[in-house]
Amino acid sequence: MTRYLVKRILYMLVTLFVIASLTFFLMKLIPGTPFASANKLSPAQMAIMKAKYGLDEPVAVQYVKYLGNLVQGDLGIAFQFGNTPVSDLLANRIGPSIHLGLQAMIIGSIIGMILGVFAALRQNTWVDYSSTFLAVIGKAIPNFVFAGLLQFFVAVKLGWFPVLFWKGPEYTVLPTIALMMFPVAIAARFMRTEMIEILGSDYITLAKAKGASYFDIAFKHALRNALIPLVTVLGPLTASMMTGSLVVERIFAIPGIGEQFVKSISVNDYNVIMGTNLFFAALFVVIILIVDILYGVIDPRIRLAGGKK
Amino acid sequence: MASNLEKLPKEKFAPAILDSSKSEEINKPSLSFWQDAWMRVRKNKAAVVSLVVMVLLIIMAFLGPLISGREYDTQNVAHANLPPKIPGLENVSWLPFDGEKKLPNGNVINPYEQKKVDEYYWFGTDPLGRDLFTRLWKGTQVSLYIAFLAAIIDMIIGVAYGAISGYYGGRLDNVMQRITEVLIGIPTLVVVILMILVLEPGILSITIAMSITGWVGMSRVVRAQTLKLREQEFVLASKTLGNSDGRIIFKHLLPNLAGVIIINTMFTIPNAIFFEAFLSFIGLGLQAPNASLGTLIDEGYKVLRLHPHEMIIPAIVISVIMVAFNMLADGLRDALDPKMRD
Amino acid sequence: MKKSKFSLLLILTLVFSLFLAACSGDKSSKTDEGNGKGGNAGDVAQEIKAFDQSEIPTMDTSLAEGSTSFTYINNVGEGLYRLDQDNKPVPALSDGEPTISDDQTVYTFKIRDAKWSNGDPITAHDFVYAWQRAIDPKTASPYGPYMMSGKIKGAQAITDAASAEPPKPYDVKSLGVVAKDDKTLEVTFEQPIPYWADLFAFPTFYPINEKFVKEKGEAYATNKDNLLYNGPFVMTDWDGPSDTEWVLEKNENYWDIDAVKLTKMTFNSVKDPASAVNAFEAGEVDITAKLSSDLVQQYQGDDRLVNKLEKTVFWLKMNQTGDSAGNKAFQNVNIRRAIAQGFDKEAFVASVLNNGSLPANGQMPKEFVTDPVSGKDWREVNGDLIKYDAEAAKASWEKGLKELGIKELEVRFLGDDTENAKKTAEYFKNQLEKNLPGLTLKVESVPFAVRLERDNAQDYDLQVAGWGPDFRDPMTFSDLFVTGGGSNRMGYSNPEYDKLIKTSLTQLGGKPEEYYKSLLQAEKILLEQDAAIAPIYQRNSAQLMATKVKDVAAYDYGPDYCYKWTSVAAE
Repeated sequence: MTRYLVKRILYMLVTLFVIASLTFFLMKLIPGTPFASANKLSPAQMAIMKAKYGLDEPVAVQYVKYLGNLVQGDLGIAFQFGNTPVSDLLANRIGPSIHLGLQAMIIGSIIGMILGVFAALRQNTWVDYSSTFLAVIGKAIPNFVFAGLLQFFVAVKLGWFPVLFWKGPEYTVLPTIALMMFPVAIAARFMRTEMIEILGSDYITLAKAKGASYFDIAFKHALRNALIPLVTVLGPLTASMMTGSLVVERIFAIPGIGEQFVKSISVNDYNVIMGTNLFFAALFVVIILIVDILYGVIDPRIRLAGGKK
Repeated sequence: MASNLEKLPKEKFAPAILDSSKSEEINKPSLSFWQDAWMRVRKNKAAVVSLVVMVLLIIMAFLGPLISGREYDTQNVAHANLPPKIPGLENVSWLPFDGEKKLPNGNVINPYEQKKVDEYYWFGTDPLGRDLFTRLWKGTQVSLYIAFLAAIIDMIIGVAYGAISGYYGGRLDNVMQRITEVLIGIPTLVVVILMILVLEPGILSITIAMSITGWVGMSRVVRAQTLKLREQEFVLASKTLGNSDGRIIFKHLLPNLAGVIIINTMFTIPNAIFFEAFLSFIGLGLQAPNASLGTLIDEGYKVLRLHPHEMIIPAIVISVIMVAFNMLADGLRDALDPKMRD
Repeated sequence: MKKSKFSLLLILTLVFSLFLAACSGDKSSKTDEGNGKGGNAGDVAQEIKAFDQSEIPTMDTSLAEGSTSFTYINNVGEGLYRLDQDNKPVPALSDGEPTISDDQTVYTFKIRDAKWSNGDPITAHDFVYAWQRAIDPKTASPYGPYMMSGKIKGAQAITDAASAEPPKPYDVKSLGVVAKDDKTLEVTFEQPIPYWADLFAFPTFYPINEKFVKEKGEAYATNKDNLLYNGPFVMTDWDGPSDTEWVLEKNENYWDIDAVKLTKMTFNSVKDPASAVNAFEAGEVDITAKLSSDLVQQYQGDDRLVNKLEKTVFWLKMNQTGDSAGNKAFQNVNIRRAIAQGFDKEAFVASVLNNGSLPANGQMPKEFVTDPVSGKDWREVNGDLIKYDAEAAKASWEKGLKELGIKELEVRFLGDDTENAKKTAEYFKNQLEKNLPGLTLKVESVPFAVRLERDNAQDYDLQVAGWGPDFRDPMTFSDLFVTGGGSNRMGYSNPEYDKLIKTSLTQLGGKPEEYYKSLLQAEKILLEQDAAIAPIYQRNSAQLMATKVKDVAAYDYGPDYCYKWTSVAAE
């Protein structure tokens, strides 16, 4: 196991290096400069600006310098925010995004799993259909619509929660609900299928025959087996939800990283794009590793280290 | 439990007949796998209804633009933002097809009278005065194509990639998984912007954009399921019988993967539909003035409070498509599942 | 037993999420305290909450270029002049009107006794330093060279020297601004400038305390502590350009403190206009940022809707520079005229914009400048220079095609990045293709940075562009399209036009009547004769403001709003 882990962590570094390099060169293919005032600057001023940030050098040189700085933990400065270091920007913006993402993820998957279990236990009844219906609607209607409707009806009309911002626990409720529709839908649907499959298998029949209660069957025997596809999907989803949702952050005016990232791409803010993306990629590969390890924990029959002979 | 057993009356028990000829008897007609599956789909009412709805929607997607008598791209700004009005239904007060609309301040007005419009726009018009009925079905065509495309890409690339990666495992799995990590690690938006600079906007560029990373989620789910299944006895049995790896994957593993494949497709399809809307928004998707359900919802949302019909109608259609698809898929899955035969 | 395990998991999760929620709770205490009404009976707390559509890009007067930056710089800073509530420049840090030389090129200002927020006195040297900093090419100020070149003596020479190949040495001390003593500032113009007072009210010309900048180095203007204030307000909360919440409070050192009524203003950046309106409806904010057009319709007739006819005009630029089919065709005046007359502007503002914007039939906006000869609005004098006329458009189109010897034309339409970009593109495609048979419009949507680059490289056929004024003078619009001008970027060149502009600039600065005559003539050449651009509309903006908020000054150029005179009335 230790050997496997060490190997995987080495691979992880290679993967991150490849991602960083590819992203860097792809971005350099996009024309334009990161200076918002590009069209107001004289050629002389432009040259000075480019020299100041090393953008006048050949791409290969920029690349080597970038990697050099990266190794030392320097992500450069955010062009769109004057001289703000990218690390500061990330530090300020990533908190709300991670908080919101995790909260929506955890609550959403729990609700989803419960829905899925009930749907499976009452297969092809109204319980099943309405659970499916809920899950499907949760996915078919884009979350900006949910977010907008929640904001208007629950916050403005009913006045139960604040309309905007991110200043305390009560501020997190509506964004969390808007964002958790997706994990609810995923968890509910996967849970239902896996449960149905498992409920039909021999060892459940045995458990039933031995007089185990529905609850025990569902949560002791079946749940564990249903977890494989769930962690597969929910793992990477956690990574992407923690790096921020463009629309939910925008609608609730949450100072997160999601919208920042998209804006940075449209204004060619190389350093912010690279910094945010590396953070995301690192989070992602770590979660993938955790998921792979979890497979073995959930189902001891799964062996990842050795290949199929 | 044990105490219950004791209370059971004796007469409920009868000795089993130990006749070998009886136990060999076939008491059901012989059916092929597909006949059997179809029979069981038919028994599932929700699946049958869904099938009918799906067929109706597909017919409407192609018939709708023809029967409205209007073009999807004709602008008539004098007729902008009209609410739905359908002849015959306009006098049914509880239906929203009377050509009237309620303003956010509570007043009810009739834009058809105010603007002196004699025509009937069944589903109303958009801010440029285009007929939404025609645009809706035009958009449904595009979105159905997108849905179909996403499903195909998922099925072909995603399932194969995942099954191979999971089945063979070891070094191959390692390399294949690192490739998908890199694919996900590169921001899609950067790739898409680069494509804008190279490609013409349109169906082709949508297809390419979706093919790049659209299948990764499916491949991961299939891989995980395969990892679980490949260690099970029936695979070992098949192997012992001398079956090739290809045959094992397609004959034995795939049917067991049907459940997760279907569910994952359900998530890919709306993702693809809204990815297309997003591509259209940044200029890589459909060329204006074409529409899709995704773009109609995007545009309608902006005027939701003033002209709710512009978003609600396409949102209903997309939801109906998704619900029908899922109910049908659930029915199919139950029918195909080898363990669930009765 | 099994059951309790599961509920334990649930409880743990809830606790966990509450704990997470608590982590971010620290900011709430800071903002809630501003909520309360004034303690004294009958008194209304002079505090407001407002939204802005973006964060503050920079508070450095030399680097500022957008109206958001200008607005906050104007509220916490001050120059020789300040725009008053009626948009007129009035002396501010200048103690009364300056002495003006007979040839109207040398202005001598007395600096008022006023203090920076750190207690240092404001001196003439602060102005000299600020202006030299802004013109220095090393600063890369977007507005410095633009506002000074051809106006302040020596500015053009400095820019030219730095742009020469190879760069020549230059000396920022050669700029025509000198501190005669601590309280006397002498400014020398190249020639008489009719709008000089507007220049001195512009944020780029605000003083900067040199000692403070040197002390802070790179950190200058990066947050509230690295700034000095001399305006009606000071910033008490702003962590830098990425901060989404900032607070302005009354400046106790301000020389005109009696005029300032507000004690505190809290601003937040809210990017989604619909969300901003929701917050306004819930009473969480007093002033929203500009509304998108769909929301404007919703509040039509509501007395909380504040309309402002901006002096920003949008037009189609028709690029004549390159080799593309469209570029070549646009070298033909008939083709250009066909495009300019070929779309219905009334219907455009009514359906696509629908926010009170007006159709534009000239380059100069309405209600911006008045002709000194007739005393009438510029637009009244010059009238509609190029109007929608489908038939005339078709006629010139056919004539143009004949001259070019082609039957069909495909033109690239570079999409813009405004909220209505997509609808705008659809509208123009439909209108132009309908009215001009044989025309195909190919819409190209690209991200912001790419669009800038394509505009810079003049790689487009047709694009929507807009211009807002920087001072109250027709020249802010008129000199845009001189040959090789920084904002031309479409290869338009007419010697007659260039001559009119140049004469007005260099010789007529002191003669307003001839100056206007010459510039009025130039607009006619640009549009009536050459159809160089196709004017579309003059923008109107609307925002929601609680009726209790009084006297917010709204400006046509530079800053958007000033809160110096603003007060909160009892409801």
